[in-house]
Amino acid sequence: MKPFLSQWKADLLRTVRDRRFFVLTLIMPVGFYLLFIHEQRGATAIAGTFWSAYFMVSMATFGVVGASVNTLGVRLAAERKMGWVRWLRTTPLSSVGYAASKISTQLSLSLLIVAVVFMVAHSNQGVTLSAKHWVEIVLWIWIGSIPFAALGVLIGLAGNSAQVLGTLVYLGLSLLGGLWTPVEALPKTMQDIAHWMPTYRYAQPAWNLLAGKGVDIKDIAFLAGYTILFVGLAAIIQNRLDVKPDTN
Amino acid sequence: MEPVISLNHVSKHFGHRIAVNEVSLDIASGQAVALLGPNGAGKTTSIAMMLGLLHPTTGEIRLLGRTPGHLASREKIGVVLQNVSVPERLKVRECINLVRGFYPNPRSLDDLLNLAGLATDSDMQAHLLSGGKMRRLQFALAMAGNPEVLFLDEPTVGMDVTSRRQFWDALRQYVGEGRTLILTTHDLQEADVMTDRVVVMHHGLVIADAPPERIKMEFGDRQISFVADDARLIHVVRQWAEVADVQTSGRQVTIVTSDSDAVLKRLIHDNWDIRDIRVGGTGLEDAFVRLTREEVSLA
Repeated sequence: MKPFLSQWKADLLRTVRDRRFFVLTLIMPVGFYLLFIHEQRGATAIAGTFWSAYFMVSMATFGVVGASVNTLGVRLAAERKMGWVRWLRTTPLSSVGYAASKISTQLSLSLLIVAVVFMVAHSNQGVTLSAKHWVEIVLWIWIGSIPFAALGVLIGLAGNSAQVLGTLVYLGLSLLGGLWTPVEALPKTMQDIAHWMPTYRYAQPAWNLLAGKGVDIKDIAFLAGYTILFVGLAAIIQNRLDVKPDTN
Repeated sequence: MEPVISLNHVSKHFGHRIAVNEVSLDIASGQAVALLGPNGAGKTTSIAMMLGLLHPTTGEIRLLGRTPGHLASREKIGVVLQNVSVPERLKVRECINLVRGFYPNPRSLDDLLNLAGLATDSDMQAHLLSGGKMRRLQFALAMAGNPEVLFLDEPTVGMDVTSRRQFWDALRQYVGEGRTLILTTHDLQEADVMTDRVVVMHHGLVIADAPPERIKMEFGDRQISFVADDARLIHVVRQWAEVADVQTSGRQVTIVTSDSDAVLKRLIHDNWDIRDIRVGGTGLEDAFVRLTREEVSLA
């Protein structure tokens, strides 16, 4: 536990110190929210709620997925390349402790992204929910981001391709999962594809919560399955990388 | 007492390349050991296997009585690897504190800063340190947990003379406390200064394992080569005590000796007709080649 806490503390410090990244991570979802909210008027009814609230959830999830899949992956790839991760494996910080620290840092950042997007939606578009609803939705978007953090870890193993791969996966998943255009507005084939996307399974329960519906167990099952898939793949690839020869 | 590290017929293959070949080695507590050899000898691969970073293809390794890589033994070791840079956006002291936090009984921050000679750099950005200071920071990180066993892979590469001297002082203090040290180096002087046992590796094989004085004698040899018309000379010279080896190639004679001055004086004093005289050190690489050949002839 102590090694993990030490690593987490340092990781949080490093995240906040990376000003440009930090500001961009927060500005992207907020900027897109403000930009696109006016195209379809905020008061338009959609999926049992209003566009202003619906798109608030879309952009919060979009921001969280981006920060997890894209930046987490690139950072992990960089730390691997520096030899630092290899060295850490000689210290009492276990690989589980290391991954837990990275994921905890990511979750802290995700919570901040959600809070900022929601505050902007509240103050700019007057989105109001009951206290219970706010808490439920924030908790869902927060906890539900775990599979994406795991996906970030997986992408981080791609080395030099992590940057490109991360961006592709991030934009692809956002688009296909209906974070940009509501799934109901897509052609049938696209809808079928969307239903398999972790992004859809992530955002859908939050949209449902907005409409006063509960979280579907099926969505949880999908996200849990994806988490196991990503973590499993990461573990296999990690083991493969370890047997590769290195500089002697 | 059980050795701190033991390698039992350990080999490591990378595809068809054999990096480490049937190495058996026991290192006792309190020993200071150098793995000496040219680049590609298998030193770094051996260290990586002792640390559990690589798995041996065949053979068995124990570190502190366990399979290498076990968390419990990681608390008792300190490591400096090659080609490692520290994370960005952390100050020197934050970086040291990060690593101190990994260990149950860490050394104090001030202690580590002084040990590495970084007291005045504690607020510098760690990843921006110069090459020599970066190596010293990594030494501080290796010492953070108050290790019983210290592994240093080419620790002084990139250090200037002052840094190196300071580093050697700190190491000597560590060794003086009766703790175990394993370092790799291709610098015989470093092995001589820091250790009481030198394991020479070449092409993945251990070709010598002896105190540094003995290795130095072996490596300190010089060569005298010349052209001699009188073949009787070879038989005479072979009897001389200071001559280790005589090789001939036609009329070209090469003498390997620990005392080139004495041999030359005798040759000239005895009035042998020799010409084109050249004297040179056998050098590390030559010595490795010679040791390897002896190993083969013994097998």
